[in-house]
Amino acid sequence: MSVRTLKGKRRWIALGGCLVWLAITFFPLYWVLITSFKTPIAVVGGPTYLPFVDFEPSLTAWRELLSGQRGQFFNTFLASTIIGLSASVLATGIGAMAAYALVRFTFRFRLLSALIFVVIAFGGFLLGRNVLGFGQGISLIYAFIAALVLAVFSSRFRLPGPELGNNDIVFWFVSQRMFPPIVAAFALYLMYTEMGKLGFKLVDSYIGLTFAYIAFSLPIVIWLMRDFFEALPVEVEEAAMVDNVPTWRIFFGIVLPMSKPGLIATFMITLAFVWNEFLFALFLTNSRWQTLPILVAGQNSQRGDEWWAISAAALVAIIPMMVMAGLLSRLMRSGLLLGAIK
Amino acid sequence: MTTRNDPIKHFFIWPALIIVLVISIFPLIYSLTTSFMSMRLVPPMPARFVGFGNYADLLQNPRFWHVTGTTTLIAFISVGLQYVIGLSVALALNSRVPGEGIFRVSFLLPMLVAPVAAALIARQVLNPTMGPLNELMSALGFPNLPFLTQTSWALGSIIAVEVWQWTPFVILMLLAGLQTLPDDVYEAAALENATPWQQFRDITFPMLLPISVAVVFIRLIESYKIIDTVFVMTGGGPGISTETLTLFAYQEGFKKFNLGYTSALSFLFLIVITVIGLVYLAILKPYLEKHK
Repeated sequence: MSVRTLKGKRRWIALGGCLVWLAITFFPLYWVLITSFKTPIAVVGGPTYLPFVDFEPSLTAWRELLSGQRGQFFNTFLASTIIGLSASVLATGIGAMAAYALVRFTFRFRLLSALIFVVIAFGGFLLGRNVLGFGQGISLIYAFIAALVLAVFSSRFRLPGPELGNNDIVFWFVSQRMFPPIVAAFALYLMYTEMGKLGFKLVDSYIGLTFAYIAFSLPIVIWLMRDFFEALPVEVEEAAMVDNVPTWRIFFGIVLPMSKPGLIATFMITLAFVWNEFLFALFLTNSRWQTLPILVAGQNSQRGDEWWAISAAALVAIIPMMVMAGLLSRLMRSGLLLGAIK
Repeated sequence: MTTRNDPIKHFFIWPALIIVLVISIFPLIYSLTTSFMSMRLVPPMPARFVGFGNYADLLQNPRFWHVTGTTTLIAFISVGLQYVIGLSVALALNSRVPGEGIFRVSFLLPMLVAPVAAALIARQVLNPTMGPLNELMSALGFPNLPFLTQTSWALGSIIAVEVWQWTPFVILMLLAGLQTLPDDVYEAAALENATPWQQFRDITFPMLLPISVAVVFIRLIESYKIIDTVFVMTGGGPGISTETLTLFAYQEGFKKFNLGYTSALSFLFLIVITVIGLVYLAILKPYLEKHK
């Protein structure tokens, strides 16, 4: 029994507060669940609260939804699942690698190299578009490659100016989250359209949306995974290094299995973010790869007050995340954490 | 921390670096350059360099200030409420209220609900004729309340949905922070007969300050980006009274295709967020250092 455990009356006040918050948390979820089982007449007739007591539950809404009368639910669900799973698996993998490198290795470069990158990228783009008359897409690709090559090349020399290290890289990654997503979403839409003119279809495509989601999940993955890797005991890795095990095998064979709980938590957070994301999907898709939030939001304007159908649609977006959270939290509580310590 | 040097480190970091660079540098270049131009796609208008014209237009546009004010109001009030409720719940859970295990899992659920779906549920619950809340209000003797159709009620409803959805995040982070506080300080306080309020004021709150600052910072930045909840609940209405910065940018950009204007707006938005972030950190820095 910890000293911090509440005793006597305070304990019951705290419990009362928690119960109130629990009611507030659950009521809307309960409401949407029962509404999806109401008949149109039961919905219009005013609020009713208990199935079988003050209304007869019916499967009308669900039957309509599953039979496809209410838009392409099955396709959208599939698109959401494919994009969500692949984007979060890839983001977690790529981000974990970067986070590991940032924890265990030293990176040093001069501020000047970073400035060279930005200046060349800006200048090259403007030069290509306004002076040389290339299209936007081509100018962008050339400017990007030139900027990257020159920046990396310049870092081979001893440049003057302040030196940046690992923490600055992490800060740069995390600061990407400050950028208002509307800027990025809109500009990405235009960039994808330009790329479409060059023959790469990215608007309303699997690759386009997944790529955007990976990029926007990476900062958070790197931030979270860095904390997990820093908490790992370094001795195991040092022992492996003495035995001359190559670094990539240390990472995939020892470090990743040890940080399974962290990977699962990060994967879950990323998946929830991608699954629920609205703005990018709104800009970057229109039919084939539309995701659930867009379809659900559309129900609002198309259906007016057909709450039984809207509730069923909303539940299709909500339930998978709840199931996943339940499964993964159980996984995390049972053997996995122990496996890491052993 | 041991650091080693091995060329393989570059293979580990470059994939992430390239992806984020590609996705972040283009929006930056593109929107910064177009923000100095007058450019429209519908009706098509050739690009013309206007310098700071777009910025000046925006700063003189009362709608911009109105929208910034609305967003600030929603962000500050909802984050304030989230922090107060989140801290209370986290404290209760950390002191082992009965049934703590169940609360711990179920309190997180709203965070996983798509904001669009949460807004749709809110529309049902707040519906004037078919919603349960207005029935409750009538039973308590209030008139039928215009939750989504009158400015102050609509703002309140949006804030309520934000609080419902994001308090779990605050609970999660603060609970993690509370669990790292050492027990011996509390044992010493108990020996000195410190009241629970004294313990909270002199131990828990100061020691929790760094994580509190971080949590509130993250939530503030995220709240400024709010669009989906407003988009579904009120569409910015009545009139433009609940329009937020992102929704305004969306209207200008995607409905009117007024590119230069939208880009300038996004950069002003970025400046607003940066200024608020810096002011916030500057105000709190002395407190953070005092308790280090």
